[in-house]
Amino acid sequence: MQGLHLTSLLSILILMITAFIMPVIKQRQLVTKISLATMGVVLVMLALVAVDVARVEHYTATIGHYDAPFGITFDIGPIEAVVGVLFAFVSTMVVWYASFGIHKEIKENRVKLFYTLIHLLLASLLGIVFTSDLFNSFVFIEVSTLAACGLIAIKDKPENIKATMKYLILSSLGSGLVLMGIAYLYSMTGHLNMRAIHETLQVSVAGNERAILVSLTMFTIGLGIKAAMFPLHIWLPDAHASAPGPSSAILSGIVIKAPVVLLFKVLFMVYGHEILKDTVILNLILIFGATGMIMGSLFARVQTDLKRMVAYSSVAQMGYIFFGFGLGNAMGMTIAIYHILAHGLTKSCLFLSVSSFIEQTGQRDIDNMRGIGREMPITLAIFSLGGLSMVGIPMLPGFVSKWNLALAAIDYGQIFLLLIILASSLLNVSYYFPIIINGYFGNANLEGKIYKSKMKPVRELVPLILLSIMMVIVGFGSGPILDWIASAMPSL
Amino acid sequence: MISFLASHYFQIGTVILFGVGFMTLLLNNNLIRKIIGLNIMDTSIFLFFITIGYTGGREAPIINGAFKGIDAYVTPIPTGLMLTGIVVAVSTTAFALALTILFYERFGTIDLSEVMDSRGD
Amino acid sequence: MTTPIIRRIVGWLLPFLWIFSFYIMLFGHLSPGGGFSGGSVLGACLILDRHVNGANAFGARFTGERLLKLSLAALLLYGILKGQSFLAGVLHMNGLPIPLGTPGNILSSGLILPLNVLVGIVVAVAFYLIATLFEEGHL
Repeated sequence: MQGLHLTSLLSILILMITAFIMPVIKQRQLVTKISLATMGVVLVMLALVAVDVARVEHYTATIGHYDAPFGITFDIGPIEAVVGVLFAFVSTMVVWYASFGIHKEIKENRVKLFYTLIHLLLASLLGIVFTSDLFNSFVFIEVSTLAACGLIAIKDKPENIKATMKYLILSSLGSGLVLMGIAYLYSMTGHLNMRAIHETLQVSVAGNERAILVSLTMFTIGLGIKAAMFPLHIWLPDAHASAPGPSSAILSGIVIKAPVVLLFKVLFMVYGHEILKDTVILNLILIFGATGMIMGSLFARVQTDLKRMVAYSSVAQMGYIFFGFGLGNAMGMTIAIYHILAHGLTKSCLFLSVSSFIEQTGQRDIDNMRGIGREMPITLAIFSLGGLSMVGIPMLPGFVSKWNLALAAIDYGQIFLLLIILASSLLNVSYYFPIIINGYFGNANLEGKIYKSKMKPVRELVPLILLSIMMVIVGFGSGPILDWIASAMPSL
Repeated sequence: MISFLASHYFQIGTVILFGVGFMTLLLNNNLIRKIIGLNIMDTSIFLFFITIGYTGGREAPIINGAFKGIDAYVTPIPTGLMLTGIVVAVSTTAFALALTILFYERFGTIDLSEVMDSRGD
Repeated sequence: MTTPIIRRIVGWLLPFLWIFSFYIMLFGHLSPGGGFSGGSVLGACLILDRHVNGANAFGARFTGERLLKLSLAALLLYGILKGQSFLAGVLHMNGLPIPLGTPGNILSSGLILPLNVLVGIVVAVAFYLIATLFEEGHL
């Protein structure tokens, strides 16, 4: 049945087209409804993509009328399907949440622009994940960067402008490096299609070792900047902490994940394990990932601003993903992809609950969040669930990642890596638990707080609750998901 | 070594240009100079792509009159790619310049070092 | 900036520039040129007109809102025209049956001509709006 193959392309097209209908519509309510409806349709389509992939394991959709080495194709396997469903689900929930409160955070005349940008962003992120043409993915990366910058700058405060400037400059550096890497690959192989490059590269390694190393470094650093790999993360805390709440959730939940997926495809599907094992790139990624796990948590520990703390926690969690890549064995890669899923759901959940704390209390400091559990019990419960997942309480997705990452590290043969995972988890405990404990317990904290006084109406919390339910499902159903992802790993 | 340099002088020039643009974008504090650096970097990559695509002695791939066989024309793909690349670079530059205007309105300067707090985190 | 000399010369020049930009767009599939280059010339015309004749005289004819709507409509049409071709490509079918015409005529080569014109409109409006952005300083 060829018809189902259409859905991957159709979802991107629908998002792009609806993005440009919105600016001319007058009423805000109508824009919101169109956006929600589109997101729902896209979510259904990507679920169909996943069903399709589950049936045929892998398929190639030809865009335009030319076949693989010359035309652009979408190569869709389990990894792409899983990540695509995650992106669509998180953005649907974020748009749902934003439909209640975004006009309070940004100016009224910018609301339409907000939805336009979210649609463009999701379309370009799906493009990055699906496409198998390197230049095509570069164009999608640039679109996603500009849309993400717009989502930060939309709030118009001085710190937003500053953060956007920082993000734009570093992102441009990253894009330049990625494009130069593509140029190197093109000059070595004469192809832009990932499979074709892979096949040509296997034959022509001899004599090209230096060019291969240079281009590998360019891809790793360029995509590492965009994905906030540890020493290159400096733009992330400012950008994610100053953006409006729903924007932060999207930025931290899915925007930094798309470059990671592309890096995975470039490393393991374009270059392949034969070339990687002769270079130091994987060791470097492992070191950066491990440092990020520790340092990100340490930085998060010393923050006084709640949103900045959660943003630094993202740096640490991206460290886990790079750690998995750096191990370079099948289990490490599988768990890295699974952690994209786990962190995407958990972090968007955390950011949305934090933004509703900030919206209801008007405070950003961690110290002022004492006793919040009496005023907003449900929201803090969701925050706690996310925090527990980050810390690694069994059966939540964070635990599954850490457990399997530990097994992969043992498989890799370096036992001291276990200590890093353990230390990072303990650091996570040290900054998530105080908020939860001071929020719910302690007579001094709860004094003068009125039960449910600042709670949002339950219907506004539905997207948050759905996100946390999905998070628990991903944790409990980790077995089949891991098996499915592992079935798509390139053979070593 | 010398013969390699002599035969690849175009590529070497573009890589040097890339370095110049990269360092300007990274190290200069003035926003306008940063944007100029960005443009130098992008242009160097376009040049690099186009030098890959060019083969000496061949014509532009437009069939004018009779078709002269595949070997008579240069490959059009890098040029086509770079047309897209130029559009992307133009939009990034426009966005960066607009952001610079906003930056100047908010902070009264276009020097990043005067505004950015130099905390270690 | 708008001395009488400039105003008079631009007054003479503009009609030719308009025609030239349309020529580039319409003959994009036959000779060097196309949507982006034609659109940039058209955008330059709009910017020149606005600078020389003043924002008020120009803005009465082309308000930002109206131009934006025009460009969004062009984008929408582009998305639908090219999108159906892409979708047909996935199914290995032919897209809309557009007659190809004889090579060398203006009405030939299927979708390329309408797509060039649509791209031209979008690019021209985008250039013009970016230029006004710098004048007024709103993002």
